[in-house]
Amino acid sequence: MPPYIYIGGYSDPPRIPCLSLEAGSGELVALTGGPGSGKSNLIKSIAGIRSAGSGSIKIMGARPGSMRAREKAVFVFQNSNYSPDLTVRNQLDRRIALIRGVPVRMVRRDVADWCEKMELTEAAGEIPGQMNRSQLQMFSLAPLSLTSPLVAILDEPLANLSSLMTCSALSIIISLLEKTSVLVMVHGRSPLAKKADRVVCLS
Amino acid sequence: MKGQITYYFRESISILLKTKWVGPYLLVPPMLAFMVYAEAYLAAHGITGIFSLEQRTVLAIWNASLLLTLIAGIKSCLFFSSIWGSSWFRNSLSYPVSRSSGFWGPYLAVLSIITCIFILTTGAVVAALPEPGRFSFLRIITESYIPVVWAVSIGAFLGILTTGAAGSMFFSALLLLGFLAGLPVARLPEWLCVVIPPVGRIMTLGFQYPQGLIRVVILILHSAAVLMLGRFLFGIALKRK
Repeated sequence: MPPYIYIGGYSDPPRIPCLSLEAGSGELVALTGGPGSGKSNLIKSIAGIRSAGSGSIKIMGARPGSMRAREKAVFVFQNSNYSPDLTVRNQLDRRIALIRGVPVRMVRRDVADWCEKMELTEAAGEIPGQMNRSQLQMFSLAPLSLTSPLVAILDEPLANLSSLMTCSALSIIISLLEKTSVLVMVHGRSPLAKKADRVVCLS
Repeated sequence: MKGQITYYFRESISILLKTKWVGPYLLVPPMLAFMVYAEAYLAAHGITGIFSLEQRTVLAIWNASLLLTLIAGIKSCLFFSSIWGSSWFRNSLSYPVSRSSGFWGPYLAVLSIITCIFILTTGAVVAALPEPGRFSFLRIITESYIPVVWAVSIGAFLGILTTGAAGSMFFSALLLLGFLAGLPVARLPEWLCVVIPPVGRIMTLGFQYPQGLIRVVILILHSAAVLMLGRFLFGIALKRK
């Protein structure tokens, strides 16, 4: 771990020198690029958990990291979406309740139904270390189904999924497109790049 | 919106109730029993003075406070460093939660758990006393709680500044220094209270009210200062490029 002021800190510098992009409502925009091209850094900048070097980012007019932006957007990171110490089920309950702004007891039924539909009921009772990466990735996508975000920003959402779960994940993301702006960071051959309205390549 | 303020507090409480975090507090009763036995043994053999029941009770309360301070400080360093240093925590700051609660939530969670342990420990000591004498110990119990709060505050500061292991070692050294500086043989100038926390002085002057009061105030100020510094560093860390 780095020795000084460490909050999930980063040692790598921002890698995208210049980017100008706007995504509209109901639009799926895919950002492609190889490993180390800065995709994950970009999502962190949009989420407001890392400062961009210069320029501006707006989520429906709000600056990244502001409460107004975070209330409208759901972020799915490539890794580490859940605490390794607690069962995913507990964390998911609290997270969905938080995003919906309701008490936890009011979302338990919905979360249980979603887990059953995705055949993840058993896995939900485990901590992240006990489940495979495919299941964990699927749980990361749960807030997309269980809340109604206006903006969804996803980092490699299909990267760790099995072929069966890839289909389910794709249908979750496609179903969002009626009223949600979706920005996905993917590698070039991802099925999401083929379905996107626009593909922006980070070189 | 519901849960914006309490989200990290609840997450932290859930983590802290896991065996690996709450387990070390089980060491307190046997260690306390050993310390009380050792002190009674030393007194019986004339190595220390003979204490009255009241003095022995006060000593037992301070022993409990010292043990809890040590364990609370080390566990705080490890916990805060692990939670604030983890990627999931940073990623979770993208939820609609109060970012300030990212600092205060875990801090209050640790403090709540340790306060419960403190109440149970000192409660056990006081419960063993004859009924008329119990209330006279309230002041000592309140005073002995301050070093525990100080330990958690230092843990929060060190947890954000460095790794858990390094923080724990620094904390243990600071506690040892503070304790040794408080022994009657150590004659340190008062201004050193600012640098060396007067933990030991509070403990050794625990019998002499109100002489210990000024040290209590200094220790509270010490805790508040490091806590505010920790909060400041937390804010800086969130704005990193």
